[in-house]
Amino acid sequence: MPPHGVDILLVEDNANDAELTLRALKQRNLANQVHVCRDGAEAMDFFSKGAGAVPKVVLLDLKLPKVDGLEVLRRLKGDARTKAIPIVVLTSSREEPDIERAYALGANSYIVKPVDFEAFARAVSDVGLYWLLLNHPPQ
Amino acid sequence: MRSIQRTFPLFVTALLLAVGIVQLTIGYGEVRQASRSVADRRLRFVDSVLVDLFRSSQQRGRITALAKDSAIVAFLRSGGQRGREQALAALRRITLDTATNARLELRDFSGRVLLSTGRFALGDSVLVSPGADSARFGPLIRRDTVLFFGVAAATPGTEQSSGGATEQAGGIVQQIGHLQLNERTRRSLTGLAGGDVAFLFGNAAGDPWTDFASIVPAPPANVRDRHTPTRYERGESKRAIAMAVPGTPWMVATELPTRLIVAPAQAYLLNMAPLAALVVILGTLVAWWGSRRLTAPLVGVTRAAEAIATGDLAQRVPPGRDDELGRLARSFNTMAEQVSRSHHHLEVQVAQRTKALEGTNAELESFSYSVSHDLRAPLRAIHGFARILLEDHHAKLDPEAQRLLGVIDQNTRRMGQLIDDLLAFSRLGRTDVTTGPVDMKELTQLVADEVQRAEAGRNGSLEIQIDPLPPARGDRGLLRQVMSNLLLNAAKFTRGRPSARIEVGSKPNVDQTVYYVKDNGAGFDARYADKLFGVFQRLHSAEEFDGTGVGLAIVKRIVQRHGGRVWAEGAVNQGATFYFTLPGEER
Repeated sequence: MPPHGVDILLVEDNANDAELTLRALKQRNLANQVHVCRDGAEAMDFFSKGAGAVPKVVLLDLKLPKVDGLEVLRRLKGDARTKAIPIVVLTSSREEPDIERAYALGANSYIVKPVDFEAFARAVSDVGLYWLLLNHPPQ
Repeated sequence: MRSIQRTFPLFVTALLLAVGIVQLTIGYGEVRQASRSVADRRLRFVDSVLVDLFRSSQQRGRITALAKDSAIVAFLRSGGQRGREQALAALRRITLDTATNARLELRDFSGRVLLSTGRFALGDSVLVSPGADSARFGPLIRRDTVLFFGVAAATPGTEQSSGGATEQAGGIVQQIGHLQLNERTRRSLTGLAGGDVAFLFGNAAGDPWTDFASIVPAPPANVRDRHTPTRYERGESKRAIAMAVPGTPWMVATELPTRLIVAPAQAYLLNMAPLAALVVILGTLVAWWGSRRLTAPLVGVTRAAEAIATGDLAQRVPPGRDDELGRLARSFNTMAEQVSRSHHHLEVQVAQRTKALEGTNAELESFSYSVSHDLRAPLRAIHGFARILLEDHHAKLDPEAQRLLGVIDQNTRRMGQLIDDLLAFSRLGRTDVTTGPVDMKELTQLVADEVQRAEAGRNGSLEIQIDPLPPARGDRGLLRQVMSNLLLNAAKFTRGRPSARIEVGSKPNVDQTVYYVKDNGAGFDARYADKLFGVFQRLHSAEEFDGTGVGLAIVKRIVQRHGGRVWAEGAVNQGATFYFTLPGEER
């Protein structure tokens, strides 16, 4: 997998959600540089093996096999090399403890996935547009 | 605080005091009565002795006999020196014979003294006018401190017929006596009556009275007339009995000072009162000691019971006695043991239940987390892919397939809403209620504005009237949700009305405030009023009014967590009123 030129790293274990997310991004032409990880361990591998690969944003689900989403968040934000990478938590959980912990660990944003597809698509594409086009990361 | 230890000795003391006082009163009365009757007997006895004394003088008989004496008669008839000597001898016989120091006189009818003997001279007048055949007593005569009496009798054959000889032959024998009591008699009578007795002598005619030493005022009329024991005042209180001397107009009376009569009763009181006081004091001491002995173990049991009541379950009573109190202590200890044991048992049970409940709670939490996370993902997939089908493959789908996809679309949206509402409801059970003063009027105004904005596109007007609302005490966020759910509910069920009207008001209750939200909407069948607040309970079809049936269940749960109550009134097509109570601001 070419780690270079990745704009969005999508960490999502649910294939359907991943497909819907990609489709929403595709509709805004944001899907060209998307890399998908199926679990937390894979996400951690992405950063340790693909040294130097810096996505413009990480879309992180919380409930993940192997390494939990909050754990991934903790490790990325705890590592000097990766802590500047914007991480948007994109999850089904609207539980207050999850939201609090995610922000405490340094999440840049917390989005609850709507069940309604239009709302979901709008949310995903808005996030993509914001972080890829509007946000200006440190060089 | 009332205490047996104090009240019992007090009771015993009061009882002894009462008994003592009654005993002393009765005893005093009886002793006084007895000494009175003894005194009365003595007074009567002395009276009778005196009466005998003065009757035994037999003045009347003697003077009558003397008037018939032959020497007297002869002297009156014939005169002469020898006749005079014989008549004087007859008179002297009586003078010597009596103890009254009598003076005897023989007078003629004109009052001239013919003969006289004895020491006393009372003048020349005739004291007594004698009757024709018997002796007469005259008034009592006072001279200095001595009282004298007179008694006279006429000589026989002295009818007042014509002729000087007959006149010459008659005369009067008169005795003047000194009323006295010799010292020996007085002393023995005084001894009989008991000291301080006074002997009085006089008559009922108003003449002076004597006590045989001096002249004294006559006793009161009631003493002279009644001849029964009579009390009266003369210098001091006296008790006297009078008695008539038969055959004379005289009267004797004996009196004793009342103080002498009641002296034994007073002596009784003086002797008995300290004794009674001693008995009362001893009784009090014994009662006090006894009640202390009796109540001390009870005090121990009481203290232990109080200690147990305040939570010190290890408290026990020393059982050291072998009587009922010891048994009480042992029973108490057994009871305390059982209380302690069941308390411990209860604590263990509570701990177990709490642990089990905590486990259940944790399970419920992970369950709702799963629902939140895992149920929504497949739903999103169903909805998403159905939409994709509709959007990307529209041309290949006939109208029926498109309609069916539309049904899937609607139902997945609805299920998403259901899951969200259910989660919100279950979250309420775990949220902490943080109470503080809440301005209900301001809060309702905020919610009303929101509802007006949300209902901007509705057909017909919507008026929300808010009366002045008293502040409540509760969790502002949760109470806002209550008001929001109720107003949204009212707005929803008034949608068909051309001019919808919602009124929010309150009325004071006992210690809570009743708030209400009233609308003129579709109302409900009052028979199902209790179903309104159940989770997923709906009284209208989804086609008529949307919603999942959780809003009112949330309202009920929040109000209940505030210690309040919810209920509803309404009728089909006549609007509905939802009530809820909340604790007042100051509590």
